[in-house]
Amino acid sequence: MLASAKIIGSGLATIGLAGAGVGIGLVFGNLITATSRNPALRGQLFAYAILGFALAEATGLFCLMMAFLLLFGV
Amino acid sequence: MSFLLHSPLEQFEVSSLVNLQLPVLGYTNISLTNLGLYTIIAVYLSLAFHFVASNNKSVIPSRWSISLESSFASVHSLVKAQIGAANEVYLPFIYSLFFFILFANLSGNVPYGFTVTTSIIVALGLSVTIFLGVTILSLSLHKLHFFSFFVPTGAPTALIPLLVPIEIISYLARAVSLGVRLFANMVAGHTLLKILSGFLAPMFTSGIIAAVVTLLPFTIFVALIGLEIAVSFIQAYVFCILTASYLKDAIDLH
Repeated sequence: MLASAKIIGSGLATIGLAGAGVGIGLVFGNLITATSRNPALRGQLFAYAILGFALAEATGLFCLMMAFLLLFGV
Repeated sequence: MSFLLHSPLEQFEVSSLVNLQLPVLGYTNISLTNLGLYTIIAVYLSLAFHFVASNNKSVIPSRWSISLESSFASVHSLVKAQIGAANEVYLPFIYSLFFFILFANLSGNVPYGFTVTTSIIVALGLSVTIFLGVTILSLSLHKLHFFSFFVPTGAPTALIPLLVPIEIISYLARAVSLGVRLFANMVAGHTLLKILSGFLAPMFTSGIIAAVVTLLPFTIFVALIGLEIAVSFIQAYVFCILTASYLKDAIDLH
């Protein structure tokens, strides 16, 4: 009973990773738009995009940590 | 499923390699664990990289020297862009932080290597220590004016009692989020690789035709390892740029 509840709970928790996907897509989509507007800033914009990607990914991974905690922790 | 017997999280267990147990002073247990060994390896690789790249002090740089000079220039420009030109006092700290986290992450990408930063103690220890250090620095620089950091400029006076607790909580969350970001990225990457290899290994060893057909999902696995190496670099870079950003907030208070 508890084992199946853990599996269901961790499956529900991974729904939150959709937010990470949307966030990363937004960051890099806007990078492409911004680079097309001003190609000279490509290096600087890429550095900001990597920072934004890591922050968006972190939020998704907090959610994945909860899923692992539910699945493998008690 | 083959991994119900062995959880994919078992690779992160810290086990003692060499230990000395004496029933003296209570019970003394001095042990070198795999985490300790890989921390020593990460420090050794950082120092060795700098020794090799010093190139016997010859004028014409070797490829190691060029890579070291370019990485120094990147970290230097990161610190200058974040903190400002007058505050390069913090460059040695952020530089060594970058190289330690980079070599610790990369040691885990070697097969059968242990990633030190998959231990929550290491990741949270780094981030909470940095948070405490930055707060103490800011308190010593600004004394009681430090608390003006929590009142955002241009906020309507009626909203201040609502905004200040939110600002305080988001400031305290920096300590946790900095470490958990590094920890979660490393653990998630390695767990994914362990789960996939748990599927690929039986497929490879079950007959010659299955082994040839398995080469196609194996290329995806190799691409994921490339992604893991990129994530190791990115996480070290992001940890350092956020540390520099928190230092700037501490020094400039806005």
